[in-house]
Amino acid sequence: MGLLGYTVRRAFNSVLLIVGTVILTFVLTHIVAPNPAHVWAGPHASATVIQGVIKRYHLDAPWYVQLYYYLIDTFTLDFGVSPYFGQPVSTLIETFYPRTLELDFLAMSLTIVIGVFTGAFAAAHQDRIGDHAVRGFYLLTWSIPPFLVAIILQYFLAYKWILPPGQMADPALALPKPITGLITVDALIEGNWVFFYSSLVHLILPVIALALISFGIITRIMRSSMLDVLKTDYVRTAIMKGVGNRRAVYLHALKNSLIPVITVIALTFAYTIAGSVVIEDIFSYTGMGYLITQSLENFDYPTLIASTIVITISVVVINLVADILYAIVDPRVRLGGGQS
Amino acid sequence: MTAVTTYSRKRRFARTLRRLTRKIPSLIGLVIAVLFYGWSLVEGILQLIAKYFFYPPYVTPKLAWALLPYDPFEPSFQSTLSPPSFIHLMGTDELGRDIFSRVLYAAPTDAAISIVVVLFGVLIGGLLGLPAGYFGKGVEEVNMRFTDLFLAFPALILALVIEATLGRAVIFAIVALIVVWWPSYARLFRGEMLRIKNQKFIDAALLSGLSDTAIISRHALRASLNTILSYATIDLGNVILVYSILSFLGLGAPPPYPEWGSMVSSGLGYLQEAWWYSFLPGAVITGVVIGFALLGDGIRDILAGEQ
Repeated sequence: MGLLGYTVRRAFNSVLLIVGTVILTFVLTHIVAPNPAHVWAGPHASATVIQGVIKRYHLDAPWYVQLYYYLIDTFTLDFGVSPYFGQPVSTLIETFYPRTLELDFLAMSLTIVIGVFTGAFAAAHQDRIGDHAVRGFYLLTWSIPPFLVAIILQYFLAYKWILPPGQMADPALALPKPITGLITVDALIEGNWVFFYSSLVHLILPVIALALISFGIITRIMRSSMLDVLKTDYVRTAIMKGVGNRRAVYLHALKNSLIPVITVIALTFAYTIAGSVVIEDIFSYTGMGYLITQSLENFDYPTLIASTIVITISVVVINLVADILYAIVDPRVRLGGGQS
Repeated sequence: MTAVTTYSRKRRFARTLRRLTRKIPSLIGLVIAVLFYGWSLVEGILQLIAKYFFYPPYVTPKLAWALLPYDPFEPSFQSTLSPPSFIHLMGTDELGRDIFSRVLYAAPTDAAISIVVVLFGVLIGGLLGLPAGYFGKGVEEVNMRFTDLFLAFPALILALVIEATLGRAVIFAIVALIVVWWPSYARLFRGEMLRIKNQKFIDAALLSGLSDTAIISRHALRASLNTILSYATIDLGNVILVYSILSFLGLGAPPPYPEWGSMVSSGLGYLQEAWWYSFLPGAVITGVVIGFALLGDGIRDILAGEQ
């Protein structure tokens, strides 16, 4: 099967998956929910508000009519108006999501860097003290609750040291005009160096916190794939030819052992985005995590559901991209019939 | 089952336990797990008795904290936010309540949740995953597509939404955790089944005329449990970890009741003057989760050696 065929098939599956997840949220919110109108309107809503909600979501119609409107609304990105924020939910997501993406992509890059190097290091020192140290380290970060990582960083690095303990940038500074929505990039485009610096400094702690809680998975994959590659003939040949041991490991072997890491990149994305719910809450970073925790606290259900759907769709899309990348890098995947 | 197989099975359990104590990491894990569940059992029984047998609502059921150093609900305004000492091992919170007592009081909830969620996860995952691997084709397609649907969501976020929909209570937190937990077991069971399916003993069972259900439930299930067991052990800790996040976000038991995650979050406001308030309950969570991870790794090493 060619790359194109593989891509089309995977893309088709992903679309099905997205529709499926949206239907699943429908089942949860309209059928499983004990009283859908109350869920959507909040527990303390007045009778008129509930009437409005019933009309808005067609809750008095049969379920298939409700499903029809729900799907139409979702795929036209019309998630209604947030009762707590008083703005259309799609506008809210448009402002908050890029900020989280900015945080998450930086965190993912750091995760991958830490994961790849600790994994390679552990494999190169298999069953020696370096291996055990790496294992102990990722066991610790894996088992520690995300909020505790954030609190420890905040306590030791912010209160005792110089880094800012929270928020996205110095609140005294005006936000740059939204061009891409990624505020550091916007500040850069605008040439607003003060803001750019401030937001970068504010990103350091949340990014480290997110990377710390999610690098273990990459370390694990990297270590095992590196161990396999180190046994291959070409690495042995390289060492025999007189390429230094370090060069053979960190250059020759590292490149090929990176391939399986691609498969877990999507997983890391899902991880960091779930982690950022808690991390953003602690660092008062106003992104999706803030939006989700706020909507939870204030019974703002439309925002919560819309955030979930948007995040899930992006996870599915990133999964798809990772799969296609994997197929480009490693043609054996396509030929194997794409078994997961 | 003959006497010999019963005997060897009993011996096998004892032997596995003995081998777990030989390596220091798995020994640490075993000790943590035994202490955690042992304590939770005793304290949990006391709490249940106190709740259901002495229930006049105006009297505090003292039996539930008979074993604790202090009453976990009793404020004491002479000693608010006092640092860890021999009088208060983990210090006190803003109302002067002893944090160590509160941590101990909260343990049974976490213990019960971890066991219930993992058991149901294994059960549902097995029911969907084993037939998927065994029959392949249509059954596999349907079951695994269904599983993928749940796996597409980031687990924590799906759990949040489920609990927000159903209501905020421990029971709904359990439901939410089960819903996000079974899919990984369905995948595991399917993978195990694919590995087992082509082995000789399954062929033998087929030839001796056993039905598909009997083969799956009697032979394949038992063979796959080896792998599942170590995962389930590690997951006991992971469930506690994710539940602590839910409780940190205010989706656990309501306020007067102590809970590990919610204690960390209420300590956040006093982080600068009272570090112990957030750190120590958080450290307890970490310790328990590490314990189960070490134990699970130990079990995997032993069972993998036996296969």
